[in-house]
Amino acid sequence: MGLDRRGFITFLVGGAAGTLFTPVPWKLLDDVSIWSQNWPWIPKLKYGAKGVTPTTCKLCPAGCGLDINTVGKRPVTAEGNFSHPLSQGGICPLGAAAVQLLYSPARVKGPLKNNGGKFESISWDEAKKILAEKLSTQKGSGNVALISGDENGTANEVLAAFLAALGSSDYYFMPSDATAYATTWNKMMGGQGQVGFDLENSDYVLMLGADLLSSWGTVVRNQKAFGQKKGQYIYVGPVQTGSASVADKWVPVLPGKESVFALGLAYYILKAGKTCSAKGFADFKEYILTNYTPSKVQALTGVPANDIKKVAAELIAARRPVIVSGSDFGQGSGSLDTVAGIFLNLLLGRLNQPGGLVALPSVQAVDKAPDLNQLRQNSLINFISDVQKGAKRPDVLFIYEANPLYALPQASQVASVLDKIPFKVSFSTFLDETAAKADLILPTPHFLERLDDAYTPFGAGAVTYSVSTPVIKPVFDAKPTPDFILELAEALGVDLGISSFEDVLNAKAGKLGADWEELQGGQAYVGDKKVFQSTLSLPTQTLSGGLKMASTEYPIYLAPQAKPYIGNTKLATPPFGVVTIRENELKGRDFYVHLNKATAKKLGLKQDKKVKLVSAAGQCKALVNITETVMNDVVAAPLGFGHTAWDDFSKGKGDNVFNVLTVTQEKTTGLYVWNNSQVKVVKA
Amino acid sequence: MQVKEFKVKWGMVVDLDKCTGCGACMVACQAENNIAPVTEGSNKLRTLTWMLVYELSNGKDFPEHDIAYLPRPCMQCGKPSCSTVCPVVATTKDEEGGIVSQIYPRCIGCRYCMAACPYHARYFNWFDPVWPEGMDKTLNISTSVRPRGVVEKCTFCHHRFAAAKEKARMEGRDPMHLEEEDYIPACVEVCPTGAIVFGDLNNPEHKVAKLAKSRYAFRLLERLGTEPQVYYMSKREWVRRQGDNYLENEKTKGE
Repeated sequence: MGLDRRGFITFLVGGAAGTLFTPVPWKLLDDVSIWSQNWPWIPKLKYGAKGVTPTTCKLCPAGCGLDINTVGKRPVTAEGNFSHPLSQGGICPLGAAAVQLLYSPARVKGPLKNNGGKFESISWDEAKKILAEKLSTQKGSGNVALISGDENGTANEVLAAFLAALGSSDYYFMPSDATAYATTWNKMMGGQGQVGFDLENSDYVLMLGADLLSSWGTVVRNQKAFGQKKGQYIYVGPVQTGSASVADKWVPVLPGKESVFALGLAYYILKAGKTCSAKGFADFKEYILTNYTPSKVQALTGVPANDIKKVAAELIAARRPVIVSGSDFGQGSGSLDTVAGIFLNLLLGRLNQPGGLVALPSVQAVDKAPDLNQLRQNSLINFISDVQKGAKRPDVLFIYEANPLYALPQASQVASVLDKIPFKVSFSTFLDETAAKADLILPTPHFLERLDDAYTPFGAGAVTYSVSTPVIKPVFDAKPTPDFILELAEALGVDLGISSFEDVLNAKAGKLGADWEELQGGQAYVGDKKVFQSTLSLPTQTLSGGLKMASTEYPIYLAPQAKPYIGNTKLATPPFGVVTIRENELKGRDFYVHLNKATAKKLGLKQDKKVKLVSAAGQCKALVNITETVMNDVVAAPLGFGHTAWDDFSKGKGDNVFNVLTVTQEKTTGLYVWNNSQVKVVKA
Repeated sequence: MQVKEFKVKWGMVVDLDKCTGCGACMVACQAENNIAPVTEGSNKLRTLTWMLVYELSNGKDFPEHDIAYLPRPCMQCGKPSCSTVCPVVATTKDEEGGIVSQIYPRCIGCRYCMAACPYHARYFNWFDPVWPEGMDKTLNISTSVRPRGVVEKCTFCHHRFAAAKEKARMEGRDPMHLEEEDYIPACVEVCPTGAIVFGDLNNPEHKVAKLAKSRYAFRLLERLGTEPQVYYMSKREWVRRQGDNYLENEKTKGE
């Protein structure tokens, strides 16, 4: 029997229909859809055993405890450590992006030597040799200086001991409100220990400038305290920041004038008969009652006297109020900014009380290191101006975990000043602006690759100590800076009395009475010690600061905004931070500055128009965003844009507002201030 | 359309009076769900943000102005507009727990679902995902990597749900009766103010069940009838009013 046409067609159709009853076509369809999405250039998942390693974040000074999720011992994602008092399971956008920064294109992959503008790879031994040569001639001459961007790590003790051994006292921290408080509280007022704020137990938190819930101090812990809210939160400042958006009340006050508002409050509280035992109280009181009268404060701050009276009454009525004063963007505070806040706390009897302002003890592990709290009083701006004037001329400058060429006020001028220092060494994980101009880059590992610690981050309400344990071996040829310094000291024949950095941390734990094993396992040590204050004095000379007249040449106040998701003073926008930047913050390569309708109208500016912010110090280009979150006569500008080094995730986006910040010197105290910069906004 | 009812309904309640707009949820979401970083993020039509924080304004001039932030994941609608329009059954609402699924290999990239979703919660991969060299070593092994041409969205970290159920089974507990802490999406876990609360809306022991019934709770575009499983709450009337299209003289929900 042959296959006729009819039979053939029956067979085909029958076969085709038949296959539909088999899984074959469906399986094929499924496979096709999988294959067609499975290309060699799509990264494959790399499987392995899952685990969790706790550590402490060093990307900012807040010192959050993190849980790093690992796969096959590789870190994968970061979460907050629930048992850590400073994170309590929470995390900030930088911490959440920490793991991916291990592989940031901006990482320095090994020691580099600058050879006429081009970086050449060298070995660690060569680096040591170069530095040993440079420093051996320096020994005893004090011609080496150091800038540290690590506010609370014990690494500072090793570095400071090394500098001291070389006969130098030129140790500077990057300016912050931690250094501002060290200067006023410890130096001017005779306070002991480090200032902190017990937010958890407070029923009335008055934020004077300090953007507690967005960027200031122990930010995640502040946010946690707010989340478990026991009382009211009031924000005083020029812009509706993250703190103001959730606060019970926002009191708009011009940048840098929060202290005047504070003294306006002090007036009413003094009138209510409150007093404190600090030295110079009578003079202080007298000055406030005559010079900061309600009408005067109203004229200076723009806040109606009645509103000030109301807040003062609330403060008096509150059971456990605390006043946290600081700069809106965490640096550049004048002496009065911190003194006025401290004074209010003293006046209300809140010193070392539950829910009040606390003084926390410091502990040092390296005997040969100077007191870090003393070093925090050294003014970096002062040093830079000395270098500019030629009063100081170090031959070698060490820069540890800091980016002064980007993140100091008048940044564009800082670069030319630091050019006067012949040899600069950057110990940076990333190729930041400062590293790019350094003569030697000796990369310190990412915090996930190194042993490090954080001792009582500024703002914390209790002594807190936790350790960063290495989660992964350095991905690149980086070496922990304290280790390198110890090697260098040995090469120079300098005895620091330290065998290893681990021993130093171990000794610190011992001094605190903390268990080293537990610390390494991610548990934080929390102490309840506070420092008793025997004699505090009130520096009346700071009080005239609030009465300064505004500049008429630069009629608009600049309110810089610190936003962790854009980056901070030592970190540019991380790869995973890019999409969190909002449409009204960045457009292509231009960033926005923010003014309200009234101010824009006054200046003849329209939405999306190109402008320049011009100050006595410098200028920057931006687009206009009209928003009512900013008070009259103020331009709000985010910090963190305008990077010129780093990588494609941050480079060339927007402009650097640090260039516009203008430093002025307080006449009475000599302190440098830049939280009250004024600008002109002109069409570009 | 016939709507499936579930015994377990995972849901979120976001307290907008606690959100400071810090963006930690967005970053944690990207890392958890293997969303590739981009160098240009200012064109929001091209970025992938399963979790997106919106800025809300009361529209008044300074000094009467007020601001709020609204984190927006996928609403996991009870009556999803997206799944009904999908021609290839790549997105469905058929699993106990009430999470709207997204099956990448099935997706043909027609983007009907994106047009249908009233919340703009869906995203299209316009480009192949690229991680900087070495960064692919940080990929989360619980989430697949999507190529160009498919639509994706928040899944309430569904892999965490699967893992929680598995763990419960291993421990001899009922996987249909998970505790609140058994299953927490990444964004909820990291939120520093605790603005986002997560749990089973049908389980009276879970905080969300009570919070969702609060006088101040509302859902986005509630009157469309999509029955979202994401609730918001705010004591501020103007915030609640932005949750829906109200007529001029109409009372805001909760007033």
